Amino acid sequence: MASIRRFPAEFGYVLPLLLLMLAVFILPIVLMLARSVTQPEWTIEHYQNLIETSVYLRVLGRTLRIAVITTIACAVLGYPLAYWMRGLSSQRQVLATALVVLPFWISILVRTYAWIVVLGNAGVVNRVLLDLGLVGAPVAFLYNELGVIIGTTNVLLPFLVLPLFAAMVRIDDRLLHAAESLGASRSTVFRRVFFPLSLPALAAGSILVFILTFGFFITPAILGGGRVPMVANALDLLINQFARWETAAALSTVLLVVTLACFAVSRWVGARGATS
Amino acid sequence: MSRILLATSSVLVLAFLCLPALIVIPMSFSSASSLEFPPPGFSLRWYESFLGDPRWLLALQNSAVIALLSSTIALLVGSVAAYGLVRGTFRGRPLIEGVFIAPLVVPSVIIAVALYIFFAQIGLLGTMTGLVIGHTVLGVPYVILVMSVAIRSFDHRIEQVALSLGAPTATMFRRVLLPNLLPSVFAAWIFALIASFDEVIVTHFIAGRHDTVPKRMFNELVLQVNPTITAIATLLIALSVVAIGIIVLLLRRGGVRMQSLT
Repeated sequence: MASIRRFPAEFGYVLPLLLLMLAVFILPIVLMLARSVTQPEWTIEHYQNLIETSVYLRVLGRTLRIAVITTIACAVLGYPLAYWMRGLSSQRQVLATALVVLPFWISILVRTYAWIVVLGNAGVVNRVLLDLGLVGAPVAFLYNELGVIIGTTNVLLPFLVLPLFAAMVRIDDRLLHAAESLGASRSTVFRRVFFPLSLPALAAGSILVFILTFGFFITPAILGGGRVPMVANALDLLINQFARWETAAALSTVLLVVTLACFAVSRWVGARGATS
Repeated sequence: MSRILLATSSVLVLAFLCLPALIVIPMSFSSASSLEFPPPGFSLRWYESFLGDPRWLLALQNSAVIALLSSTIALLVGSVAAYGLVRGTFRGRPLIEGVFIAPLVVPSVIIAVALYIFFAQIGLLGTMTGLVIGHTVLGVPYVILVMSVAIRSFDHRIEQVALSLGAPTATMFRRVLLPNLLPSVFAAWIFALIASFDEVIVTHFIAGRHDTVPKRMFNELVLQVNPTITAIATLLIALSVVAIGIIVLLLRRGGVRMQSLT
């Protein structure tokens, strides 16, 4: 009768994994959400605690600030790179794409560690600056917000460049030629035709970078040297040092809600980009 | 003029992306015990200090056991589920697929906190079982993504022919589907394996006294600068290069293009 049977045989194939994921992924998250409002009884005390304790607001504010700056840095560095890659010969495009993808395959620990070598007080950059006499004393790149932002930007740049490049390649050259033949200058073609067409991909990529920065843990821990804690580092302290599970659960919930909200926005932007 | 500017800035950004990888490898062969670059001399001392330290070797063994077990479980359960998702027409399919992909979208630290509290209550905190379970959850999205693409690109009619000729479903899986999808199966397995072998955050929260290579690296990095890390880093890079090589080869043989995965 019904065109879609309720539980056909294929559902049986999905069932084992579904049960596994419900038991050890969904259930723990639901229990965590519940814990943030039910310990010891129904209460919003733990959320009040987050708002009233200035340290959590500072950490949230810092995380937000780092996420915004990282997103802008990735867009500013990534957009010209993707645009340049679009104009390369197909062989060089493959090479450039390989270079962009390369860091994906290297442990984030390794990449973060490398920045200590490069940017430390005795690092390559500081020694060059000192030898050239540009600075009198080593510049403090590390163990502050700047170091963390350099690290996050380095890790997240490919997440913006790859989808942006893919979207730019799909932009039809004939549209640009048509605009040119109608008398538009190169800069006008870019500003009025190319840029608007690439905007949805730029927006989606930027939101992705923004979301991913929010959960960063390793980079602030290592390049911030404990002085630049972000939300994830605060969660580490709450769980592993102070054993304050309820506060951790509340802070995780805030992080989860922000992440899912941004994700929903990015899906919406992506869908608009696909239809327009 | 503006073209030269664009090309120069782009090459610089590419250099910025690849710099960390390029600088660690020569450092690992340095004879200096500080982080000098370029290295003053060639030496294998950091490889010796890694391979000669029983604590690192124990961490390596733990990493290998957890990665092998979790990726294999994720592969077995995930591949079967991917088949059901692709071929099935039941209700709630997008939602179920969302649940399977979610560990890739939800920040690891949230999964880490949730699993920590959950495992603490059921007595799995600080156990190898708990670690394998956690890593399996993180490997599932990779298996689902790779295997869904592979199964979707395999002609459904070939399966139907096998079934209509009287093959039981299990035989069809083993004799028809598996041989054809083998390259993707291996690729999915390696993705999950690498994801587990590289995992820091969930491990850091739930491992208790157990060490894995990334967890130990992280703890060393937070405390001090230890050039042994560069040797391990180089070995990990070598491992990744071999793994990508195998994946690209397998996916190409399996007729799956890399673009369709992203």
